[in-house]
Amino acid sequence: MPMREITYLDGISEGLRRLMRERPDVVIYGEDVGKFGGAFKVTLGFQEEFGVERVFDTPISESAILGSAIGMATQGLRPVVELQFVDFGTTALHHILNNAGTTHYRTGVPVPMTVRAPCGGGFGGGPFHSEELEAIFCNMPGIKVVYPAFPSDARGLIYSSVLDPNPVIFLENKYLYRHVKELVSEKFEPIPLGAARVCRAGRDAVILTYGAMVHESLRAAERLSADEGHEVMVLDLRTLKPFDADAVLTAVAATNRVLIVHEGWRTNGFGGELAALVADRAFHLLDAPVRRVAAPDVPVPFAPELENVYRPNAERIEQALVDLIEY
Amino acid sequence: MNSDTKSLPKGAWVDLVRCMQLSRLIEDRLVRLYHQGRIFGGVYTGIGQEAVGAATAMASGKNDLLSPLIRDMTVHLARGQTALNIFRQYLGRATGPTRGRDGNVHHGSAAQGVYAMISHLGAMLPVLVGGVMARRRQGRDTIGLGYIGDGATSTGDFHESVNFAAVFDVPVIFVIENNKYAYSTPNSTQFRCARLADRAAGYGIEGITTDGNDAIALHLLARELIASIRAKPRPILLECDTLRMRGHGEHDDSSYVPKELKEHYAARDPLRLIRDRLVKDGVAKAAEWDVLERDCLAVVDRAYHEALADPRPDPSTLTEGVYADA
Repeated sequence: MPMREITYLDGISEGLRRLMRERPDVVIYGEDVGKFGGAFKVTLGFQEEFGVERVFDTPISESAILGSAIGMATQGLRPVVELQFVDFGTTALHHILNNAGTTHYRTGVPVPMTVRAPCGGGFGGGPFHSEELEAIFCNMPGIKVVYPAFPSDARGLIYSSVLDPNPVIFLENKYLYRHVKELVSEKFEPIPLGAARVCRAGRDAVILTYGAMVHESLRAAERLSADEGHEVMVLDLRTLKPFDADAVLTAVAATNRVLIVHEGWRTNGFGGELAALVADRAFHLLDAPVRRVAAPDVPVPFAPELENVYRPNAERIEQALVDLIEY
Repeated sequence: MNSDTKSLPKGAWVDLVRCMQLSRLIEDRLVRLYHQGRIFGGVYTGIGQEAVGAATAMASGKNDLLSPLIRDMTVHLARGQTALNIFRQYLGRATGPTRGRDGNVHHGSAAQGVYAMISHLGAMLPVLVGGVMARRRQGRDTIGLGYIGDGATSTGDFHESVNFAAVFDVPVIFVIENNKYAYSTPNSTQFRCARLADRAAGYGIEGITTDGNDAIALHLLARELIASIRAKPRPILLECDTLRMRGHGEHDDSSYVPKELKEHYAARDPLRLIRDRLVKDGVAKAAEWDVLERDCLAVVDRAYHEALADPRPDPSTLTEGVYADA
């Protein structure tokens, strides 16, 4: 089968386009997603192909966007709404936590809606265009949280997210949109939610990570291999809620040393949940304490000199690996 | 305003009275049970406001969607909810609409087109707007009735929803139940406009203020407005003047409401108004209302005792249903 190179952004677009062609119940809306194609152009050309009834712009109204999606999802449609930046979704979190997340438990009515939420920094976006809020969403009952790191995963996971009968927060790392490319085939299989993937083999330690930090972790692992000859496994979680506990435990059993890396804040970050799982179920397998590399507990800074020391990178991950392996 | 009782057959008026009467008796019973310590959690009633929900919801059609709030027992009843299910809900029974997962006023029915409210005021309005948009995209002629109190018109959700509906010409009547108090906060601390319907101009839509205790006139108006937005889809603000006759909940004695205000609205009790008016117009006889009241009371008695005998939720089911199965 012929292969071609696509970006992470292309992956999301292709997954969505296939859904729109196959499923008349899928509608896409949000701020500037129509003719303009979205702030990042994920839905460029969609309105032209599928019409304004299925792809449309809204007022700047995060509450109305999320709330109306719940209403649509409970009436037989599968809305895919875009928060222009995940940061802005905080003005309407009650709809995700209290409305979407409780509806099936309380009333038995499924809410098959997908919230696309560009997130993450590394490009000078400052405090309000760079946030990583997965920990907030993962704390909410009834919500699924998906966070791909590769174009093929983005394509297969957006497809599965939209067809899932539950509210899904689909996190898209903005830095990866155009920086990550991959050779893929034209046809693709949906990727099930809740399945992690080993994207680098190794026996000396494992990095548990997701999103943009998968790529920083891979770089760190390559450098450590070249510098010290250590081989580090990298496990990309891909779905954060529900996350693949079996894959985590298998990786810990194979490596005995665990480093957790995420771009979001350290305190109450998702890494704490992973560390707790390892402490609870794999304590006897550990040769060293579980370590974390995460953002410090400060608002995302603007200036490159500050953001460079704020956002975890391959260099700091490599140093943490050295400490972990030499423990 | 049209309040001609001859413009509809007698049956329509009797149904309207029955809805209000049943609501009143269910809530009277819930109040008593609460003060007897027989209800787990709170009791929040719409006593004295029955006309708003009944008159509007009974004008809705089978395919329409409604999002009632705390004081809208009559909306649930108008759409076909049973007294039995309401008692099951209040008693937290496994057989109730939320199977013990939620309590009191937080219930609905997908089959009846009624959304189950969450406590965050304003938050059901965008859900309703989205639901109506979805049904219309599926080719149905659905309109929506979104209920909201005077207090919740101050929320961002109210603004976003009305504006959203206006921009997309979504046929929804935002029924503002101005009952003068948001918990203890009076209108004077809630907004500065003379009438809440005045806000409609800011959204480029129509706004109407009307008497929320006159069920006859309100029902005729609601039928007219619903037919109108079904034919020409657009949102409307409909402010209904009324008063909350009890506390926010039964834990609250509402002593902050001036006595004269309560007396003024007590003299205009919506249930008595419609019953008397229909007798005066020769549509019904007073004795018929006595029979209807006794019938409703029997329904309430039976429903309460049947619900009481129903099973409570099995603790082992705690984690069931958080997610829908793929």
